[in-house]
Order: sequence, then structure tokens, then C-alpha cells
Amino acid sequence: METTAVRKERVRMGGLSKVYPNGTVAVQDVDLSINEGEFLCFVGPSGCGKSTIFKMITGLSEPTGGTLDVMGTTPKQARKQSDTAFVFQDHTLLPWSSVIDNVALPLALRGVSRKERLLEAERVLELVGLKDYMKSMPRQLSGGMKMRASIARALVSKPKLLLMDEPFGALDEITRQTLQFELLDLWSRDQEMTVLFVTHNVFEAVFLSTRVAVMTPSPGKIAAVIDVPVPFPRNESFRTTPEFGQIVRTVSDALKH
Amino acid sequence: MREEIVKGAANPSRYLSETKPRVVSERKSYNSRPAWLKTALPPLVAFVIFIGGWELVCRLADIKPFLLPKPSDIVQAVIENGANLWVSVYTTIMEAVLGFLLSVVLGVGFAIILASSKFVERIVYPYAIIMQTIPIVAIAPIIVIWFGAGINAIVIIAFLIGFFPMLSNTLVGLHSTDQNMKNLFYLYNASPLQSMFRLRLPSALPYIVAGLKISCTLAVIGAIVGEYIAGIGGGQGGLGYAITVAASRLQTAYLFACGLSASVLGIAFFLLVNAFSKWMLSSWHESEMKSSDG
Repeated sequence: METTAVRKERVRMGGLSKVYPNGTVAVQDVDLSINEGEFLCFVGPSGCGKSTIFKMITGLSEPTGGTLDVMGTTPKQARKQSDTAFVFQDHTLLPWSSVIDNVALPLALRGVSRKERLLEAERVLELVGLKDYMKSMPRQLSGGMKMRASIARALVSKPKLLLMDEPFGALDEITRQTLQFELLDLWSRDQEMTVLFVTHNVFEAVFLSTRVAVMTPSPGKIAAVIDVPVPFPRNESFRTTPEFGQIVRTVSDALKH
Repeated sequence: MREEIVKGAANPSRYLSETKPRVVSERKSYNSRPAWLKTALPPLVAFVIFIGGWELVCRLADIKPFLLPKPSDIVQAVIENGANLWVSVYTTIMEAVLGFLLSVVLGVGFAIILASSKFVERIVYPYAIIMQTIPIVAIAPIIVIWFGAGINAIVIIAFLIGFFPMLSNTLVGLHSTDQNMKNLFYLYNASPLQSMFRLRLPSALPYIVAGLKISCTLAVIGAIVGEYIAGIGGGQGGLGYAITVAASRLQTAYLFACGLSASVLGIAFFLLVNAFSKWMLSSWHESEMKSSDG
């Protein structure tokens, strides 16, 4: 069991369940352990409970059964330690603030001085390639650039755990692939950062992850956890390898059960 | 028949492909000068015809000026009483502006307090609604009794009439923050104060601006109503006071001049607030954006 004992455990779910007051079983008996430096994708159709798991890890929703440890403590405590960052499908940039002020927001909320937080924001904007647009307003950016800004905002606090809920779901395929590649690049720069990524796109899941957790609906369960033993850096050619196709097939098969 | 059905089926898509470019071209022509003139010219022509007709009818039918003064009589009344009229207008402006500013500051302030606590809101808000339904004219005499005739009472009446639209608009705005944004602030451990001033208040700005537009015209009305009831109280009389005096003396032309000044004042006040709100929202909100995204 303890194959990766050297690395720290970031998230641990034990018999995790969520039953909504109306009786809907959103998540049932999920056991999963996610370690430092992993890139884990939850993949599944809508209604499979992947977003519910995401909400429970963030502390937006309370489990109704089982245990859930995040960064060795409760989700709420973990959030208070500010080691966690979030990216949603919606870019959630404040329309009245410039890009750089938006990116610096998590630091501003923590009371970091203006000079220091703008410096940090500039650093991550450079990473995502938006340095030239830092004075722009969000509405002047394209969908992909807004998502880059949103990712920059998540990275500004140097998180140990990055939670992403279908971040590329609203983007076109070409932008989506570019951003997937960039995201892997950002992740590879910080070996300690764990990424939890929710998606309904099998190709996306396989391209990005070290492990894919396949979820099936009613009730939401993990049908399989599939390793993607392909070394990083992965580039566009990975998408056309037979290996890629085979893993995609395995994941797709698991989804059908 | 068959042809008709085919046509009907083809129509929606044709509409879609046709309407889009048309909208764009309309927008463009709106911004250019000739189109602007095109929109301004018809009402201007109508205005000239209306005034001319009015003058003509009054002269031909020999209508008594105290019943219906000619436009030229009104202009003359303005020229003859220019100084008095200006004092009245100026006084009303002062009262309306003071009342308006009070209603903005207190309206937004109270909305922030109510929105910060569900508990307080549940207690206070029903009464705020009840108070809003009380006609201002009905309570104006009480205000005069409490605060004395003159500018104090008038400012308070102008304030009261604009206060509730500000309060309720701001409150609705503070309650309609985007849920995803609220989650974001929650997840990044924002304090209630940070959420209020960095998220909820800025998001409520479009609603606040809508409230400003309502309250600013109401403040002018409130000031004039206040002057009807509270009089001058030793100070200078505003437009409302001038109107009551002119009416009692049957100075109909001056009455018209006062009425026109009051509406010009209301329009000017509105345009000013409108320009201010455009400037405030232009950078980010859809309702006030000049052109489509670049």
C-alpha cells in the first residue's frame, strides 16, 4: 500500500460520502489518496459527483459520511493556511479591476503590502505570458487570456494544492490544447505542487495527469484509478502516440461501467 | 403549400444571418454625426412648429395672458424677473443637491449595514418599505413642525423622497453578487469587510447608479414640494415658493417660466448624474459600454 511513503500525502478520502437533503447520493464511499507533486484528474460525465468532491475538498460543502483530510487537516483549516488555490470554469475576474490587480487579489485579501503583491503578480503574469496585458481590463481579454489570468491568480500565492474545476470547459479546442500544455509547463516548474483537476474530457485527463480517477454517476463512485505512466515533459506529439490512444481507451472503457 | 413550408423552415436561419450585420451597421451610424443630427432634427422641427403655433393661436384668438400666456410673454417674464428667477432656481438647486447627497450617503450607508446582517435586515427592511409608501406630501407638514419652516425642512423632504430608492436599489445590488465570485472570496478567506468593499459594493454599482438616476430627479421634486409647504422661513424662496406666489397673483407667464425652469433643472440634474454614472461604469459594465470589445 505505502508505495510512495516518501512523498507527503496531500488529500486523503476514506469512505467519503455526500447525500443531499433530498436523498440524492452524490458521492458514495470514495477512497483515494493523493500525494505531493501529483497531477490527478477526476473524469466523468455530469452528475458523477466530481464537482461535489471538489466542493468538499475546498470546504464549500460538508461531507455526510467518511473522512476527508486536506493537507493533513480538515478542509476548512487547510483553506485557512492559504496553501490552497482555486480555478473555476468561470474565470471569476473582477470586471472593475485591472488584470494585475485581479491576479494580486489573493495576496491583497491576506494583507500583503501593495508593492510586494504587485511584484508577485508581475512574476506570475510573466509565467502565463500576460505581462503585456497587466494594465488591461478583463473585458479586453479573450477567453483564453482570461483563463490564463485566472490561473495566474491561483499561482500568485505559491499554493501547495491547486484545485481546478473544469477550467478549460468553456474554451475552444485549440485554446484548450494550448492551455493544457502551458498548465503542464507551470506545474513542472514546481515539483511540490499537487494539482487536482476536474474534467469531463477524457483526452484532456489523459494528456495532463499522472493518474486519472474515473467516476461514474448515480451514485457517484470511483470506477477505476488509472495510472498514466508517461514521463514529463509531454508535448503535442504525445496526443498522437499509440500509448495515448490506449490509455484513452482504458479510461473510456472504465467510464462505461 | 409545400413551398410555403419550405420558406417557413428557411426563414429562421435567414433571419439570423441577416440581422447580425444589420445591428452592427446601425450601431456605427449612430456614432457618426449625420445620424445624430437625424435624431435631433425631427423633435427640433416639432418644437419650432409647436411654439409657433402656440404663439399664432394666442394672437389670433386673442386669449387673455393670465389664462394662457404666449411664448413671447413667457420670455418677457423671464427677462423682467431674471434676477428673482435666478435666486429661486439657485435656492432650489442648493436644497435639491443637499437633499440628494444626503439620500445617497445615508441610502448607501444604511444598505451596507442592512446587507451586512441578515438579522438586522429582517427587522428593519419591512418598516423601510412601509415608510416608502407614505406619501411625502402627507408627512411634510410634520417635518416643518419638527424642523421649522425653511431650508432645513426642505432639505429633509428632498432627502426623504430620494432616500428609499437609493436604499432599496443598493440593497438589491448588494444581494445580487455573482455566486462564483462570492465563493472565490470565501475560499481565499476574505473577511466580511473585504467582501463588502472589494466585491459586493463594486458589483452593486450598476444598481446604485440606477438609484442615483431615480433619486436625483426625485430630489428636485422633493425640494419644490418642500418649498410649497415649508415656504421660505426667513431665507430666500425657491422655485416652489415662487410658483405659489406667482399663482396667487395670477402672474401666469411667470408661473410658466418657473415651471419650465423647474423641468430644465430636473433634466440638467439628471443629465449630470447620467454623465457621472457613465464615467463610473464605462470601464467595465455592459450597460454603459460605448463600443463592443476590442
